[in-house]
Amino acid sequence: MDTLVAPRIQCTRPDAVARLDEAAFSAFYSKTSRALWAYVYRVTGNAADADDIVQEAFCRLLRVGLEAGEEEWRRYLYRIASNLVVDRWRHRKRQEGDERAKKFAAPPESGRGDDADVARTFATLTSRERALLWLAYVEEESHEEIAASLGLGRRSIKVLLFRARRRLRDLLKSQGLIARA
Amino acid sequence: MTNWFDLTEEEERAVAAFMARVSALPTVSVASPDAMQLWWKAQLLRRWDAERRAQLPLDLMQPVEIAAGLAAAAFLLYLSLPRLF
Repeated sequence: MDTLVAPRIQCTRPDAVARLDEAAFSAFYSKTSRALWAYVYRVTGNAADADDIVQEAFCRLLRVGLEAGEEEWRRYLYRIASNLVVDRWRHRKRQEGDERAKKFAAPPESGRGDDADVARTFATLTSRERALLWLAYVEEESHEEIAASLGLGRRSIKVLLFRARRRLRDLLKSQGLIARA
Repeated sequence: MTNWFDLTEEEERAVAAFMARVSALPTVSVASPDAMQLWWKAQLLRRWDAERRAQLPLDLMQPVEIAAGLAAAAFLLYLSLPRLF
């Protein structure tokens, strides 16, 4: 087991427009791959799916050959990954039915204790709620950045994020982690 | 005025603390593929995309070519019918 603490990606040249050549990609990949994997893993709850989705997202980013700054590449990458998560969930739902698809989000941690409880509680949320909360709290993205990462409208993000936070608050309340009013 | 998009301070702190714990959860080791491996895979896929794009008009025209050939053959047969009989 390896402790993975998702790092906030620091973009050195947010406005610089560059071509994603071999060297630039190598640097960008080493900066973003681990954080993206953590995001996808926490949203899907499956390491194998996270591996596939991260690889596919990077491949698609390269195939598009986007000429932009690192921040745009990063947002585009998260958007691709988020779409791939939804595609995979839909595909699984079609193939295996609702019940099996719900397991897509099941936490892989079978351990005991606090960590497993935290993972289980987080997995109770929908994949969209998990994605929103992860981008807002772990990646510390603004509403605009989350909207760009998920391909949704900025106004929708505000409402959806509020609902996700409220849902998480209710879950935490039900577990006694927040005092009931 | 009530801001409907705010939780109380305590709730907000609890949500943020919970998310910090989620981000620090231990997880399986990540054997991420080599960046260059992905780079070359993407280059190969880009080349195939380009080939497919170049091939597309030819593929689309193929049924038209066959139909035109058959029509021309039928027309020639029609013209040569009086000489055959």
